Amino acid sequence: MSMKGGGFERSSKASEEIPSSSLADIAFLLLIFFMVTTVFPSDQERPIDWVEAESSKKIDEKTKNILNIWVQENGTIFINDQSYAIDEVSQVIAPLYRDSDRALVISIRGDRDVPYRTMDQVQKELVAAGVVRVVFAAQLEQQMQRARR
Amino acid sequence: MAVLKKKSRPSGEVPMSSTADIAFLLLIFFLVTTVFPKDKGLAIVLPEESSEVEVSQNNILHLIVQPTGIVDVKRGESQQVQQMRPEEVEGLWRQEITGNPNLIAAVKTHPDASYEYMVDVLDALHAANAERISLQVLEN
Repeated sequence: MSMKGGGFERSSKASEEIPSSSLADIAFLLLIFFMVTTVFPSDQERPIDWVEAESSKKIDEKTKNILNIWVQENGTIFINDQSYAIDEVSQVIAPLYRDSDRALVISIRGDRDVPYRTMDQVQKELVAAGVVRVVFAAQLEQQMQRARR
Repeated sequence: MAVLKKKSRPSGEVPMSSTADIAFLLLIFFLVTTVFPKDKGLAIVLPEESSEVEVSQNNILHLIVQPTGIVDVKRGESQQVQQMRPEEVEGLWRQEITGNPNLIAAVKTHPDASYEYMVDVLDALHAANAERISLQVLEN
């Protein structure tokens, strides 16, 4: 009794190709993983009562070039999630403005009940920092709302 | 000779092999069409430090925002005061600018007035396409 291969035969016939049917599943898995783990760099929303303006327009600048200054009702100022005293603002903004090649747009997000004294000080600080382009962030006021007032 | 054989035997299942393609197609469609909401606001240009320009009083329209939200309007040096609501500034500006194209709106807000009232006036000026606006705090 002589057999080829000494009596051993290949018991399984493995296919030579890598199975590609699950490729889409892997792609989706990766996609969902990255979607879930991605965090957009933006500062935390502060609780403010927005001012409303009918003629407010979209800020014509890239999101990375917009810096938000939050002014809360009690006068506390937040820049990039940090609280600053009002006279520190120009020192904080000036280097950021220089690093952005003077392209930075400052978006002032003030509470509607902030006394104008504070907003004026903020503006003076921005002038001291050399900032030129400033936006008073406001929600779009609907025509209907205005008529009701 | 009447032998009629079914030529093809359709499978009982919906073909599943292209679902991934459909999913990707939808995904790419939504990726392309998604627009992130942009911030909105009233844009102004701040003056540069120590650049004061002398302006003739005749070209200034003083808009004094009181803590009550009422706007006192004064033209140049005249002492005559006209009171109005912030929304009415739009019409006023349109009227005034036709008479004097070099007019500058000087918005002087009382330090105790709410920021909201200043924005209302600024909004009215923007709505009337005013370009020369100066924001100041009211000093006494």
